Amino acid sequence: MSDKDLQKTENTAATERIRNVKTFVPRVDIYETKDALFLIADMPGIDEQTVDVELEKNILTISGRVENGKVKDYRLVFSEYEVGDYERTFTLSDEIDRDKIKANVKHGVLRLELPKAEEVKPKKIKINAA
Amino acid sequence: MMIKNLLPDVVRRTRADLDQPFYSLQKEMNNLFDSFFRGIEPAPRGFAGYFSEAFSPSIDVKENDKEFIIKAELPGVEEKDIDVTVTGDSVTIRGEKKEEKEDKDKNYYYMERSYGSFCRVIPLQTEIESGKAEARFKNGILDIKIPKSQSAKAKGTKVSIKSG
Repeated sequence: MSDKDLQKTENTAATERIRNVKTFVPRVDIYETKDALFLIADMPGIDEQTVDVELEKNILTISGRVENGKVKDYRLVFSEYEVGDYERTFTLSDEIDRDKIKANVKHGVLRLELPKAEEVKPKKIKINAA
Repeated sequence: MMIKNLLPDVVRRTRADLDQPFYSLQKEMNNLFDSFFRGIEPAPRGFAGYFSEAFSPSIDVKENDKEFIIKAELPGVEEKDIDVTVTGDSVTIRGEKKEEKEDKDKNYYYMERSYGSFCRVIPLQTEIESGKAEARFKNGILDIKIPKSQSAKAKGTKVSIKSG
């Protein structure tokens, strides 16, 4: 398997881009509580300036840009990870209250809180005694 | 041997692998062969690592004549939970990636991230000055710089070749 094959395969996951770096799919946890949807993504190397979250209709895109960590004049002794950008797209099923989306980044982990819109939250109807 | 083919390890699915399971299998096979023929290698991640999705950081090691640079991906780990130990010729990174407090009302859709304790020993073929190691942790990436010892540097003395 040549070096070139590797690069090609890894790039297919993302949209075409101009930057000459690989794009990876970040690993995520997604869970739902009754008020909100939470998305947690491991994106080592990103900070609040280099991460982007977009929601268009019900398509949520998270992306992160990582500056190339190439250091000049160093030989690689061994390598298990490669530096590259992150991109992943999700389709959300529930209606999300766009104005209340919260995002924060800590230690290379992106944490998104997507509160559900009032109309889709489960409601308990109070029954009055007649 | 292509150094790139040595890349990601057996256990951890890399980010690209999530989409391409067959490709990842092929890569695992390459890895097995490559690591067999390769001299230097970090200690294996242990059986727990092979059979479960326990967290284990990916590591890069670079060197020049003066020093080693070790980088490890530790997303979501706190500084206080990381322990770096340097001996004469190896570096040990250990720590724990803590799972969030379990909330009973959570309904999970995706669970791809992994948690747990990890320990990786990185043998370095050259003697190092353990006292002068520096470590930084930023945005989930641990960066360790360790200078090579004077005697190690001296080993690589260049011999000039005279003509005639």
